[in-house]
Amino acid sequence: MTRNAEAVLVAGACLLAALGVTLVNLAQGSSLDAQVGLTLAVFVLAFGSVFVATRRWAPQSSGLLLPLVALLAALGFIVVYRLDRELAVLQRWWILIGAGLATLLLFALRNTGTEVFRRYRYLFMVSALLLLLLPLLPLDWGFPLQGKLVNGSRLWVTFHLGGLQIQFQPGEIVKILLVAFLASYLAERQAALTMMTRRIGPWSIPEPRQALPILIAWVASFAVLVYQRDLGASLLLFATFVALTYAATGRAAYLAAGAAMFGVGGIVGAGTFAHVQSRIQAWLTPFEFYDTTGYQIAQGLFAMGSGSLSGAGLGLGRPDVIPFASTDFVFAVVAEELGLAGSVIVISLYALLVAVGFGIALRSRDLFRKLFATGLTFVVGLQAVLIIGGVVRLLPLTGITLPFMSYGGSSLVANFLIVALLARISHEERA
Amino acid sequence: MNRPIRRLSLALFIGLAMLLANVTYIQVGRGPEYRDDPRNPRVLLERSSKERGTIVDAGGRILAQSTPNPADQSAYLRAYPEGPLTAHAVGFSSVLFGDRGLEQAYAADLRSKQDVTISDLVSALLGRDLRPQSLVLSLDADVQQAASDGLGSHHGAVVALDARTGAIVAYVSAPSFDPAGLLLETSAAAGDALEADPAKPLLDRVVGETYPPGSTFKLVTAAAALEGELATPETRFPDVAEYELPGSTAVIRNFDRRSCSGGGDVELAVAFQRSCNTVFAELGVRIGAAGLEEQAARFGFGQPIPFIYDVQSSVFPSSEAFESNEAALAQSAIGQRDVRATPLQMVAIAAAIANDGILMQPYLVQQVVDADGSVTETTEPAELWRAVSENTAAALAGMMERVVASGTGTGAAVDGLTVAGKTGTAETAAEAPDVWFVGYADDGARRLAIAVIVEEGGAQGPDATGGSVAAPIARDVFVAWRDS
Repeated sequence: MTRNAEAVLVAGACLLAALGVTLVNLAQGSSLDAQVGLTLAVFVLAFGSVFVATRRWAPQSSGLLLPLVALLAALGFIVVYRLDRELAVLQRWWILIGAGLATLLLFALRNTGTEVFRRYRYLFMVSALLLLLLPLLPLDWGFPLQGKLVNGSRLWVTFHLGGLQIQFQPGEIVKILLVAFLASYLAERQAALTMMTRRIGPWSIPEPRQALPILIAWVASFAVLVYQRDLGASLLLFATFVALTYAATGRAAYLAAGAAMFGVGGIVGAGTFAHVQSRIQAWLTPFEFYDTTGYQIAQGLFAMGSGSLSGAGLGLGRPDVIPFASTDFVFAVVAEELGLAGSVIVISLYALLVAVGFGIALRSRDLFRKLFATGLTFVVGLQAVLIIGGVVRLLPLTGITLPFMSYGGSSLVANFLIVALLARISHEERA
Repeated sequence: MNRPIRRLSLALFIGLAMLLANVTYIQVGRGPEYRDDPRNPRVLLERSSKERGTIVDAGGRILAQSTPNPADQSAYLRAYPEGPLTAHAVGFSSVLFGDRGLEQAYAADLRSKQDVTISDLVSALLGRDLRPQSLVLSLDADVQQAASDGLGSHHGAVVALDARTGAIVAYVSAPSFDPAGLLLETSAAAGDALEADPAKPLLDRVVGETYPPGSTFKLVTAAAALEGELATPETRFPDVAEYELPGSTAVIRNFDRRSCSGGGDVELAVAFQRSCNTVFAELGVRIGAAGLEEQAARFGFGQPIPFIYDVQSSVFPSSEAFESNEAALAQSAIGQRDVRATPLQMVAIAAAIANDGILMQPYLVQQVVDADGSVTETTEPAELWRAVSENTAAALAGMMERVVASGTGTGAAVDGLTVAGKTGTAETAAEAPDVWFVGYADDGARRLAIAVIVEEGGAQGPDATGGSVAAPIARDVFVAWRDS
């Protein structure tokens, strides 16, 4: 794929965003206004800068990543704009900031490459754990950095800078840092972890000393996230850990151990935490709990069912009646207004993105980069499966974002950085 | 090395494929079920925001219309310019409470067919008009206003219809409510308040409440006697001050505790004109339970009068209830005890008598009109059944005219019209009686049958009679009808 073809596809996605805004405007009774031009300008600026950065600092990178991400971001932006124009203004800023940081990351890695992640892995692990602990800072103290309680979960940090208040979810960045650490550690200790030297009864286990850092990272991230009540993120991180360990060693025993740990954790969680129980009830029988915990899922089903094959049309449905439509339930909005056609397109785009990411991993010769690309791809793909699965009742609902589509700054920024890293990895392998 | 990564990617693709399967099942397999679920807010939100047809009275006055929503140019709001005046007759279309009244009964005509349902697509392909149709009612807003003003702040009902056709001209239940307060998503509290109101403003008293008919039931008793050839208007009955109830020490007295016409004996027509309980109690016993029950049934008692709205059945106890209890029979013959009737039932009696004995199907909607103004449907007058013979109807009409000319119902008389009727003052558990006027007015060409009921005596309280309270309301309605 040539860079020119890539540029055409990215430009097409930018035009799609502007076209979507135009359609929403027309459907909602307002005419062409500055929003159309602004959206086009922001998309061109954001994706143009990432495009130029890859051309300059990662010229051999895969040309498929950016068009897919631009398309997903365009669809997501149209939905957020359709739901809430004030949120859309913020989302536009977040797209700019995310793209800007991705550009900066490509620039920063221009000489050293992803090698820095290998070299300073313990630094990344420690900073990841510290970031995870940040939301547990007191909610109200003199220091400008404070924890924040949102919907019963301690996932947010607010940073007061003069009159400006910035909120972010450190958990989103943590997943990149932990994947980097794990890929690097596993690449180095692959042999030791693959050799099951010790035996306990019928089971072979690796040398405990070798597995210890992984166990610490597992337990720590899991414990913190459970304490913070972020089930979706803890499940996502945990599964990524297990998957990466399996990818590095090829030992199915790690999958079995991970499944067993998850099973125990799930049963204990369901028995202990009321919010886990209610999630499971709402998943299994949403209409029995219609007035309480099942309401959101039921509204999502109504929205998707009303969308049918071809959808109500952009701006012509009533997705505004779904609680948290712009974050957890973005997918249901697409399904209502663009119909099954839109649902299939969105799921297919994630499938393509996952295929491109794993393609980069499979073609990598360097073990660290192979595992890094696997982890980054897996995190994005699994996150999409978890949240869409929650919306379509394949899985219990976990409150995580749909990558590139949901409203949310931290999530957008983190996913833009993942794209930059994948681009850089694919460049390094081909250069 | 690559094999586990391939397996991981396979796992994710299986997950994504399951998402595709699930979302297809939800959107296509279960789609119609979720789309039409009554809890799906879209059902009402979308329908209510679409344009609906206009509802106008016989003179073209707008009773319900869709106006563009100022907040959303693609949506409409429903408006009821006459507010409480036509709330029970017309009904309303609410996002929260759904459709009521004509808005529900004629929803298929009133709604825009520019939805994308299969049947609408077929209609579109066949070149049919998809725009909402309008309703022209037989209701006359001026007559309606007179009826409503007559009831004033008192509880009760007035229903008036053209006896020759069944076309309803006035349909008032009081107290009423303003539909404007119930139309929106935010109307839950207003709806709860109306629901909890002890005055029951949401109750349509015309069809949904039964009252003791009191002396207006003498129309039925007289009809049974005439039909059974047990009496003519000239037949004379003993004129006593007190009628001793058979098998009982209790007595039935006339309203003023005197005899009907000074003792001796009295003609049936005079007893009817003066509403003498003593004569009709004795007449009821002479007719017998079976005869009274049969005549009541021929007027419509015992089953809902056919109508577009749900109608309560009016009650005359079955003849077994009176076996060896002639006292109860005598009381029932003057419309007391367990006899209950809706205002619609009572107007049906008057209408059948005014229409030579034949009851016409009551209706509210005269025409359905398409968006271009051409009539697509016209209600043709339809006979329901014969309630009494033509001779009996004529005899009853003559007796009713005397009631208004020089009897208890003089308050209903109107210059230029021949008015006939019967008053009723029904004892209830309450301190004050429920008072009635049931009858009709004739302008030489048309006959307007009417039933007026005022609960608990209206303004006059315990001193009220049908003649003093209900008859003047009927008079005002007749005047408005004459002048319209």
